[in-house]
Amino acid sequence: MADLNFENKLIIDIQEHFRENIIAAKVKRQKRVEIRTNRESIESVLLYLKEKQGFIHLAHISCVDWMEENRFELVFILWQPQEKINVLVKIDVNRLNPVAPNIDYIWSQANTYEREIREMFGIEFEGLVGRRELILEDWDDMPPMRRDFDTLQYVMDNYKFRSGREDAQDVRETIAKRTGEEIPEIAKKYSR
Amino acid sequence: MNYVLNDRESSKIIEFIKNFARKNSLWIAAYGTGCGAIEIPPTMTSRYDAERLSIRGAATPRQADVLLITGYLAVKTLKRVIRTYEQMQDPKYVIGFGSCTINGGMYWDSYNTIKQLGLYIPVDVYINGCMPRPEAVIAGFAKLQEMIGKGEANGWKHYKENLEWYRQNQQRLIKNWKMPDFNW
Repeated sequence: MADLNFENKLIIDIQEHFRENIIAAKVKRQKRVEIRTNRESIESVLLYLKEKQGFIHLAHISCVDWMEENRFELVFILWQPQEKINVLVKIDVNRLNPVAPNIDYIWSQANTYEREIREMFGIEFEGLVGRRELILEDWDDMPPMRRDFDTLQYVMDNYKFRSGREDAQDVRETIAKRTGEEIPEIAKKYSR
Repeated sequence: MNYVLNDRESSKIIEFIKNFARKNSLWIAAYGTGCGAIEIPPTMTSRYDAERLSIRGAATPRQADVLLITGYLAVKTLKRVIRTYEQMQDPKYVIGFGSCTINGGMYWDSYNTIKQLGLYIPVDVYINGCMPRPEAVIAGFAKLQEMIGKGEANGWKHYKENLEWYRQNQQRLIKNWKMPDFNW
């Protein structure tokens, strides 16, 4: 076991411990490990990593909207200060009935991240305590970070633009016309 | 004494003196939104030294004459800006900083920032740029002083006269309207 570094040893340990509940585990690159698990065992995986492997710090809970596959992906980012290793623990949440387990008894700072995800993605965490409003005020539309929220349509419905924006010219085209230059092919896709 | 004040010529003179005093003592409410507030310290400190042009910071809105909206304004902040503006004593002036207050700027397709500041509070001077440099800020203040001297910076009167129109625009964004009434 001496030739194994900490990352590989962690993967072997966690697969021995949780067996088929670990769906996938791999070393993404040096000092970064990715573990995919299911909803039932996420709490025990996080507790195991915190108590037995020294991942004492929850850096962030992130959320990804996979609209085409009809799921949300929650990413728990943990940090181990001795070996300086990040672990990303991922679970899937059904998009039609988005309920996820609440983990703020493991790390109390998770409460804020979970409230943010509840507000921005509409995922309910079981038994989460805290005001529903965190950043947005008086929001009565779809949660705005979902990918099927049409931001542009919302802007057009709620705000008025000063006239003059609709015929806005790309500055590069004007400059190129004046100096007789060619706009390179790679820059054209960014032109309006 | 009374008939002297009612005389048209002397009221003109009094108005001139009032405007002269107002334009040479501009106190800015210490309030910053967005990224433009970072341009205020260099404007105030030794290099550009706006104090020599009679522009100074005031601690609270009730002591201030000028409200600066420095950059993008979220709907949540708009609520606080309206309350701040309505607390200020007459006469009061608003300067809109940067392209965000003019037409949304780089946040033109953001769901929670306003696109035109002029729809919600009356703006006397806009300074364009993203962000305006301290020279541009001082030029904006000079323009405001010129307008005050001529008696043209009347946004606060316009707000009182067209309060319904402003309220209508404000309440379209702020759905849960729990605000004190505008009463002076």
